Amino acid sequence: MSPRTYVPAGFLVFLLVLPHLLPNPFYVHIAVMMAVFAVLGGTWNIIGGYGGQLSLGHAAFFGTGAYVSTLLVNAYGISPWITLWLGGLAALLLSVPVGIICFRLQGPYFAIASIGLAEALRLLVLHFRDITNGAQGLTVPFKGNAPWLLQFDSKFPYYYLALVMAVGVVLIVRRMERSRLGHYLVAIGQNQDAAEALGINSSRAKAKALALSAFLTGVAGVFYAQYTYVIHPDSVFGLGLSIQIALVAIVGGVGTVLGPVLGAVIMEFFIQFTQIAFAGQYPGLELMVYGGLLVAVILWRPRGVIPWFARLYEGLVARLPAARGAQA
Amino acid sequence: MTASLMLEVDGLVKQFGGVQAVLDLSFHVREGEILGVIGPNGSGKTTTFNLITGVYRPDRGRVRFAGHDITGLPPYEVCARGICRTFQIAKPFRELTVLRNVIMGTLLRHPDPAAAEARGHEILQTVGLEGRARMVAGSLTTIDQRRLEVARALGTGPRLLLLDETMAGLNPTETEEAIRLIASLRNQGLTVVVVEHVMRAIMSLSDRIVVLDQGTKIAEGQPKEISSDPRVIQAYLGVEYRRA
Repeated sequence: MSPRTYVPAGFLVFLLVLPHLLPNPFYVHIAVMMAVFAVLGGTWNIIGGYGGQLSLGHAAFFGTGAYVSTLLVNAYGISPWITLWLGGLAALLLSVPVGIICFRLQGPYFAIASIGLAEALRLLVLHFRDITNGAQGLTVPFKGNAPWLLQFDSKFPYYYLALVMAVGVVLIVRRMERSRLGHYLVAIGQNQDAAEALGINSSRAKAKALALSAFLTGVAGVFYAQYTYVIHPDSVFGLGLSIQIALVAIVGGVGTVLGPVLGAVIMEFFIQFTQIAFAGQYPGLELMVYGGLLVAVILWRPRGVIPWFARLYEGLVARLPAARGAQA
Repeated sequence: MTASLMLEVDGLVKQFGGVQAVLDLSFHVREGEILGVIGPNGSGKTTTFNLITGVYRPDRGRVRFAGHDITGLPPYEVCARGICRTFQIAKPFRELTVLRNVIMGTLLRHPDPAAAEARGHEILQTVGLEGRARMVAGSLTTIDQRRLEVARALGTGPRLLLLDETMAGLNPTETEEAIRLIASLRNQGLTVVVVEHVMRAIMSLSDRIVVLDQGTKIAEGQPKEISSDPRVIQAYLGVEYRRA
């Protein structure tokens, strides 16, 4: 067995046993959030990285998923296993008019329009208190350990669910990268005029990418609502979340399959541990860590940490011996 | 007769603010010919390309391609119908490899990426860039960037190819190569419109030449007729060319 097989396989086993190795549920929580952000960074990457359309409003899709699901769960008692898909679908439907309107704009104008979208939704949710409960947010009714209602009394099932989602997104992005759509997005991200001259319908390609990205982001939003039991307009539609989603991909490496995964691990690690270390003594300190990380990445690793990490990995694989079993 | 007309441009008008870029321009391109378009800077050559390929929408006038009205169609649709153009200032996807640049074109007719890649290699061979397939496009020399520009356009499988100053800045040997390439494309059945400043190239390549000045056509005919037309000499070629 070559190191190229057993190193990734070993890593996968590590991910599977990881929660059992962690000393307390808080660390499992960090692992869950890493997986959630790996999902979000990966889906953002479809339109933001490959397509080069800097979205700073992905919270719009996340929040839509979270709110639509929680409203349906509360009002009709629909199982979250079903609203998981309905939340994604709602985000996808939202992406259609958004794509038509916002993709008339390019570069910073699109970024600003995307911020406006998420902010508009946040304000609408605050305003229509009768339905959304305004600033107090919504709560998922606590049912204890109810797997059929996507509720568990341990964090382990959430971790495995998030892991499945993260691996799923990685596989979807990898498939997309190799498809015609993936190529077209890269062409558009590089030079939209040149792409159109080559017969590429940029509006359609971007709309498809946004729809896929929105759907997966919406699904992640539903998962988040189920995991945390409570959602607020600020926590699921906020600008901070949108920026965090984009940063995960940018720090990791835009337009790469594994970059956002790495970005999620690094960002969550720094943020959670700054919060632990200073335990609310200096509120907002984690935001400074954010800013610092971003500056460092842009200065020293403008393509994200993934190329550097890839070199490390290649070096490791080259040095490791082949496992005995395969020779036999 | 109409059946052999590949492109008909009829009464095109385009104004930018107060500037008349193209003013009542009409000409046609026959199937299988090489049409040269010449004219001084600002005479509307590139604007005409942009009007044909849908980058701009004409204020007035029609463009017909192979008998169908394509006026005002978006650029990607025009390309899908079979007209592809190169840009005067090459627009490679700078961070991508040469091969990947060409694949972006070949994917139009070969939706399967593997097939698109195979076709990409063939086209790189045609334009003499096969040896640079794995290089990043941004690191190519100007000449190779022009080659790449042509390769990408060829990748879309056009029936009509519009070349915008592909030879500017090439040395005599490279110009010869470019002339041979364009001639060979025509021999493969392509119809070509060439906008060019390099007189030697356009005179030897073109079956017919259209001369533009201030957005309108001032002369049209075979290279020999054009080079002796007094209006053309005055507007563009200069007195020196009369002696040649």
